[in-house]
Amino acid sequence: MIRTKQLTYEIGDFQLKEANFQLGHGEYFALLGPPGAGKSIFLECLCGLRRPLSGKIFLDGRDVTRLEPRRRKIGYVPQDYALFPHLTVERNIQFGLRRRGFARLEINQRVIETAERLGIRKLLGRSINGLSGGERQRVALGRALVLEPKVLLLDEPVSALDESTRETVCGDLRRLQQQLNLTIIHVSHNLEEAFSVADRAGILRGGVFQQVGMMDELLRRPVSEFVARFMRCENILTGRLTGLSERGPFSVVRVDEVDFLMPEILRGGTVKFVVRPENIVVSRSAEQEGAGQGDSEQDGAVKMVIPVKCVRAADRGAYVRLVLEAAGLRLIAHVSHQSFTELPIPSGVPHGRGGDLCAVIRPQNVKVITEEK
Amino acid sequence: MFSNLSAVMQRKHRKRRNEFMSSNNNKTFPVRGIRSRMFTVTIFVFLAIFVVGAALLIVADALYVDADAVHTVLTDSNIRHALWMSVWTSCTTVTISLVFAVPIGYALSRYRFFGHALVDTIVDLPIVFPPLVAGLTLLVFFSQTHIGRWIQDMGLEFVFQPKGIVLCQFVVSASFAIRSAKSTFDDVDRRLENVALTLGCTHWGSFFYVSLPLALHGIIAGGILTWARAFGIFGPLMIFVGSFRGRTEVLPTTIYLEQSIGHLEVALAVALLLISVAGLALVSIRLLGGRAMLKL
Repeated sequence: MIRTKQLTYEIGDFQLKEANFQLGHGEYFALLGPPGAGKSIFLECLCGLRRPLSGKIFLDGRDVTRLEPRRRKIGYVPQDYALFPHLTVERNIQFGLRRRGFARLEINQRVIETAERLGIRKLLGRSINGLSGGERQRVALGRALVLEPKVLLLDEPVSALDESTRETVCGDLRRLQQQLNLTIIHVSHNLEEAFSVADRAGILRGGVFQQVGMMDELLRRPVSEFVARFMRCENILTGRLTGLSERGPFSVVRVDEVDFLMPEILRGGTVKFVVRPENIVVSRSAEQEGAGQGDSEQDGAVKMVIPVKCVRAADRGAYVRLVLEAAGLRLIAHVSHQSFTELPIPSGVPHGRGGDLCAVIRPQNVKVITEEK
Repeated sequence: MFSNLSAVMQRKHRKRRNEFMSSNNNKTFPVRGIRSRMFTVTIFVFLAIFVVGAALLIVADALYVDADAVHTVLTDSNIRHALWMSVWTSCTTVTISLVFAVPIGYALSRYRFFGHALVDTIVDLPIVFPPLVAGLTLLVFFSQTHIGRWIQDMGLEFVFQPKGIVLCQFVVSASFAIRSAKSTFDDVDRRLENVALTLGCTHWGSFFYVSLPLALHGIIAGGILTWARAFGIFGPLMIFVGSFRGRTEVLPTTIYLEQSIGHLEVALAVALLLISVAGLALVSIRLLGGRAMLKL
């Protein structure tokens, strides 16, 4: 559907470096990254508002790199929506149709259809100035959608909205995308927002795509420390390879005094790896899980059992965040409220030190990460 | 038709009054102590001194003028001609200035090119140099240079001609229109133009359907400044076109001519006429243009 090949753009100190990117028809893609990563610049290159230094942009197999924005059939909703303040809601939505010379009857029909779909028909006669953030967002969306674009680019479409409106709007965006089978690129720096709408995502940093993949893949299998941190993985550990495990095809990496099993055969001395907090199971005590620190195979699967103490527990609403300490090593685990009540953690925590616990980790949930791009 | 026009004017007036009330309502101010109130009083003292001073000057002029002087001003064909010359030349100057100001202002606002700072300075020069210099420069250009003489020989005669009044006014006052247009285009969000491009506009389209309507009030404000400047200039006209009665005479030169032959009452009556016409024009534009005056 839309593809970029070695797309490069430069402005001041910033450089978008050889971006290779592909998006299929009907996909909802989230473009993630911290502020200044080049997300908006990438979108502006796609819709023709910036001329790339080199590289190509293909839309349905056709090279559109040198086409004017108006000929690309790409809809664009910029940050803060950029509605025309001198026009009413209706005139804003009509704007593109009028400029493209559509007949008056068709303009009216399409505007009403779009306005009804977005639930803004009653706003059509109103001025832009009195609209709320959510209404503005819908008008901007309508203005782009009424032209039936092949791809819709949304630059932080919900960042200006409050929390509750944001959730509703994200749900509406996803529903609309499925109804119309739209191809959407949605720029955001908010992880929850991306999870609520997107099938796939890409993480951009300093003009370089760090990783592109399904949302779950980015979450469970980050390729770099930056991606892991961006996906809020708090357990990023560095250890020394000590050899192979006798239990299976696992390498053993020692971090401080604790041994971790890696799910692959590794070479080299230093290894960096991540374990997601929700993949650490916290149990009552090391004795109940078997022996002390080491591997366990009670249910047939190999597991690492690490004796830990709970240093702090914080209620985060959907889960409880535990800070665990093991032989100088600090691990973060997320457990359900149900599991937390079953743990022998004194009520004094977070102010005191908890009792003996053990952290259980499957090697499959450990992901070795590579150097930064 | 007139009742419709009146209804429209009333609606506009109501809307403006509501805007004024909502922006100046006491409720929009924070809680104020004695020092804050003193601040308000201080700035209003300066405002009052200025307004009362200006009003006193006009009243002093009016008191000096007698009925004969007023009669002379209203019946003298030369003065009527000067008034007509002042009005049409200043209006033509504004039109030509705006035709140049809009593209120049847009270019200075949107494009960064080699020599941008120099061009920006050249545009501002007529604002800062004495108007007399403009008249002198034009006279030298058209009478002492080959290009100037060639232009005159081609039939475009400016020196001591009514056309010269427009040229002189344009040189002295067009910078106000350009400066105003530039700062207004600076205020128009460039993203709006970009969105218009993605919605099917060419660059022409985004300019005419987005940038220009949004900059219109500022451009009109620039036009008002230009008109006011063009309407009142005197020095450069005396040098470049002279003050031939019934030919190149405009109201400011009439005032000079009348007072130089000792008709001080008539000169002051003409001055009051000039103030009245200028005031009437500004009030009309305020009523018709609405927000344009707020940009001034």
